[in-house]
Amino acid sequence: MRPALILIALIVVAALAGPLALDWRYDLIDWDAVRAAPFTAGHPMGTDSVGRDLLARTLVGTRVTLGVAFAAALVSLVVGVAWGAIAGWRGGKVDEAMMRIVDALYALPFMFVVILLMVVFGRSILLVFLGIGAVEWLTMARVVRGQMIALRDRPFVTAAEAAGAPPVAIVLRHMLPNIAGVAIAYLLLTVPQVVMIESFLSFLGLGVQEPMTSLGILLKDGADDMDVAPHALLLPAAVLVTLLLCLTRIGESLRNRFVQ
Amino acid sequence: MTLLVADSLDIRIGDQRIVEGASFAIEAGRSLALVGASGSGKSQTCLAPFGLSPAIVQGSFRLDGEELVGAREARLRHVRGCDVGFVFQQPLTALTPHLTIGAQLREAWTQAGAPRPSRAEMAAALERVGLHDPRERLDQYPHRLSGGQRQRALIAMAIAHRPKLLVADEPTTALDAMLRAEIMALLGRLCDEEGMALLLVSHDLAAVADNADAVAVMHAGRIVETGPTRAVLGDPKSDYARALIAASPRLDAPPPALGPIGAPLVEARQVSVSFARPGWRRGRLLAVDAVDIDVAEGEAVAIVGGSGSGKSTLARAIARLGPIDAGEVRWRGEPLPPRKAMRPRDRAGLQPVFQDPVASLDPLWKVRDIVAEPLRRLRPDLDRMAVAARVEAVLAEVGLDPTLADRRPAALSGGQAQRVAIARALGPGPAMLLLDEATSALDVLVAGTILDLLAELQKQHGLAILMITHDLAVARRLCHRIVVMDAGRIVEEGPAERLIAAPAHPITAKLVAASR
Repeated sequence: MRPALILIALIVVAALAGPLALDWRYDLIDWDAVRAAPFTAGHPMGTDSVGRDLLARTLVGTRVTLGVAFAAALVSLVVGVAWGAIAGWRGGKVDEAMMRIVDALYALPFMFVVILLMVVFGRSILLVFLGIGAVEWLTMARVVRGQMIALRDRPFVTAAEAAGAPPVAIVLRHMLPNIAGVAIAYLLLTVPQVVMIESFLSFLGLGVQEPMTSLGILLKDGADDMDVAPHALLLPAAVLVTLLLCLTRIGESLRNRFVQ
Repeated sequence: MTLLVADSLDIRIGDQRIVEGASFAIEAGRSLALVGASGSGKSQTCLAPFGLSPAIVQGSFRLDGEELVGAREARLRHVRGCDVGFVFQQPLTALTPHLTIGAQLREAWTQAGAPRPSRAEMAAALERVGLHDPRERLDQYPHRLSGGQRQRALIAMAIAHRPKLLVADEPTTALDAMLRAEIMALLGRLCDEEGMALLLVSHDLAAVADNADAVAVMHAGRIVETGPTRAVLGDPKSDYARALIAASPRLDAPPPALGPIGAPLVEARQVSVSFARPGWRRGRLLAVDAVDIDVAEGEAVAIVGGSGSGKSTLARAIARLGPIDAGEVRWRGEPLPPRKAMRPRDRAGLQPVFQDPVASLDPLWKVRDIVAEPLRRLRPDLDRMAVAARVEAVLAEVGLDPTLADRRPAALSGGQAQRVAIARALGPGPAMLLLDEATSALDVLVAGTILDLLAELQKQHGLAILMITHDLAVARRLCHRIVVMDAGRIVEEGPAERLIAAPAHPITAKLVAASR
């Protein structure tokens, strides 16, 4: 788990601080070096098809993608766990009503909702965060509710009730820690999903806008150009793959620790 | 003719030696019981040589003269399919949930090369193992059957191909006392009729007394004593066998000395509990039907009945740990508030201990915190230091090593975990303990020590006890009075000795017979 943590920390620090240390900004065009190969003309990783520094763009793109993933994970965690925990603990009619709301939201076409939000509130990266988060918590709520129902009748929960623990304490101190492993494992599975959604939205012109970029956009641009400038695909792909592998590794370690 | 011979059998899993030098033999048509505590290697002894476990087997294990140790998997599969039948402990998990009983029975039948059985043949096979409405059962899925019915269906499958040897691994452990006796009798009868040999695995020496010709007592991977059942039970040679026999409570043991009884503590009147039947609008099932029950200070009362009789539901309703539809519960004359309105001082008086000791402890908490929780919640008069001191005191009282306080439940044995659960219940200084099958998930020896501990605590603290059990012998070991429940009603109650000596109701008589 430690190497994965170190790698993630390195990527995060590089994405946050790296652009400051570079000569080129992510949106500045170097007219003398279009599609430059790595290690030429002052561009350590070369440039893209319009001559922007690829390393700078990758670092900024990583920053955006991490931001979207983090925000969506946070919404998914807070809203999804709270919603699922309340539904699973209360059961009965409350559970029915809350889970039907989840079903109804599932049934809404996600793209339609995001487009509607864009039309009403104008285009902003914040809306992309909110839109993705609003969808990602639904599955988390279902997962947590199922786990809560499975735990509710376990003897140790009854024992906590007999020990005088109020319902809030039973849920917070006994039940949620016991489903944390599953929740975290699921949470780390949503991250790659979020990265995919983000790049798809950006591709449609609904997400991040040029010249701002993200790993998804970089991958798309790189794939378009891969026969003449493979480095433009390989660099963002390497960052994304490393990120996803490390997240999975950490997720598995945490799950093993919690589930024992 | 000797059917099965095991000769200096060694079984290893990884570096761990599970069984060392086990030797025994079974004559054709006779039965042998392997008896021992959990972890003694008895299950591996009867499963590993047939290739049903990942363990490495050495030594010799000959079935009908054929060596099975080192045999190829294809050959072992043939042996399992044709010559041996297996019955396992967990009847629910041993049946495939998405196949009907009929489909699974047909599979058991044809795997040995027999022609496809007709429905009439299969129905007859189910009838033979004592299943009612066999034709209807053929089309049912396993979840529709009760535990006892599932075990009967499994037995029908195990003997469908007419094996020479039936291996039964704790076939009755998951069942209640009445069903245990019936299933054991069924196995014995089928073996007689078919001329099958029986290799029975059990942790309960007394339970195999009437059903096995010979006994092999296992302890820590070794067979410490073998011989005819009567001889081993009547005059055990090894210390371990002697301890096993002494530990299992018997109805004919001398009556135990019990503590004195005081003023009324709990008076429950007209308690009813019902559950919604699973499925859409299938009405409600009345689990407890207008029951009255009293417990006095210092009095131990056992509620005895088969599974599904409503005994656990009744006790939980009284303790405000489960649902209740109607009825009143008085605690020292005062009405006990409903479940959601229970105050700390109401809870402090009545503490539960559950059946599955490990599952009743939060797996993420340390023993110290588990025992401290009711103290922190129910005894606001104690500060942090006092709570810590009290935790040490109750852990010592239940006979637990103080070094265990920093462990988590997964690192405890079943007996240790149950002691932790008892320590947790004792912590707030209750007037009454609710024991919900508190010993039935434990090995005979461990259960014996837990019962002794409970009896000691009961006498020392003048604790009232409401005990739920399906085993009359356990109830008699600890209780002044016994209440027999069936189908949600009390069918008989009275002082323990009188009730056992002269049962008036047929259910009681059946329970008494099952515990002998």
